[in-house]
Amino acid sequence: MDPEVLERFRIGDEAAVKAVYDRYGGPVFALSMSILGDHGLAADATQQTFIKAWRAASTYDPERSFAPWVYAIARRTAIDIYRKHSRSVSSDDVDIAVFPPGLETAWEVFEVRSAVDRLPDQERQVVKLSHFDGLTHVEIAAQLDIPVGTVKSRSHRAHQRLSEFLRHVEEA
Amino acid sequence: MTPDETRARYLETGSGDLAHESERLDLIREVLSTGATWTEPPPQIVDGVLAAVGTGSAKSEQPSPAARSRWPMVTAVVGSAVAVVALIVSTVSVLEDDPADTVLAMTGTELEDEASGTAAVRPTGSGWWIRLDLTGLSPAPEGTYYEGWVWSDDGEGVSIGTFHLRGGEGPVILWSGVEMEDYPSIWVTLEDEDGAAEASDQVVMTGRMPDDEAA
Repeated sequence: MDPEVLERFRIGDEAAVKAVYDRYGGPVFALSMSILGDHGLAADATQQTFIKAWRAASTYDPERSFAPWVYAIARRTAIDIYRKHSRSVSSDDVDIAVFPPGLETAWEVFEVRSAVDRLPDQERQVVKLSHFDGLTHVEIAAQLDIPVGTVKSRSHRAHQRLSEFLRHVEEA
Repeated sequence: MTPDETRARYLETGSGDLAHESERLDLIREVLSTGATWTEPPPQIVDGVLAAVGTGSAKSEQPSPAARSRWPMVTAVVGSAVAVVALIVSTVSVLEDDPADTVLAMTGTELEDEASGTAAVRPTGSGWWIRLDLTGLSPAPEGTYYEGWVWSDDGEGVSIGTFHLRGGEGPVILWSGVEMEDYPSIWVTLEDEDGAAEASDQVVMTGRMPDDEAA
């Protein structure tokens, strides 16, 4: 993110908070969904994450990457909500130290969502139809009413970008 | 084909000669295929965030970021004769909900992070009717009480009433004699029964009028 935006975020500037949300709202929500598996709880976790981040902004070190900082807040928030919710729906009195099932891949979900959010809309659409909906290039072309060659070129460019954006994840 | 092109090809197709990296790339492909990755957050989330943050807009004028965790020097005109504040604390609504009410999100601060709720506000002939529907806010301990405030972007606060919730979580009705357009933020503070007219630094909940409703 623009260092100037992060600096303004640090002092609580509302427009900067909005800019940070626009950049990281999707990844935080995806992370929350992967851990909590519930749209409403994930929405709560996302909102709490950004409010906590804003309150803690003065502790953010601008010399370090912002993404891991906000990721850590989001992960902790989602785990807290998961545990509270697990206790509230538990049928016995045993307070189990529960860990959400999606925790192991939380960082990857956060990073992948960050990467796809950086794609141009047309490329993002092709990637979603291919990976999430499981469509072939021919099926995507039919659905979008565009030539197959266009789908192939968009898919090729999109995966090149994703490979670049996610290189650090690939090499982790 | 360069290593980058090979990786991109593997991400796209799931095949290629990438033995030492294929596990990580397979994981990324798996994440790309899950619904969580693609689900869009509800648009009202950002409104809730900005409502909470917006109440601190005056704080952004503080000289130091560290000062944000402290209550700004209170310039509140509490109990001002200018502000005709009628206080009604009740668990009984004196007015029924109206679809035309403006409803804003109330969010607990780190002092009451389980607290959440809404504030419905409505102009009347004698001021602004404000109804708080809150959950998760602890009853005020003996010797203390909660106080509602409307707050201007210039850092001026006006008390709108007090309550304690020791009888339960029923709705709280408050009144403001000043215009919400001029005082768009609502804060709740925890106060000691020490007779002080100024707001304490213990802010437990915040909310803010939507921008299109505020001046």
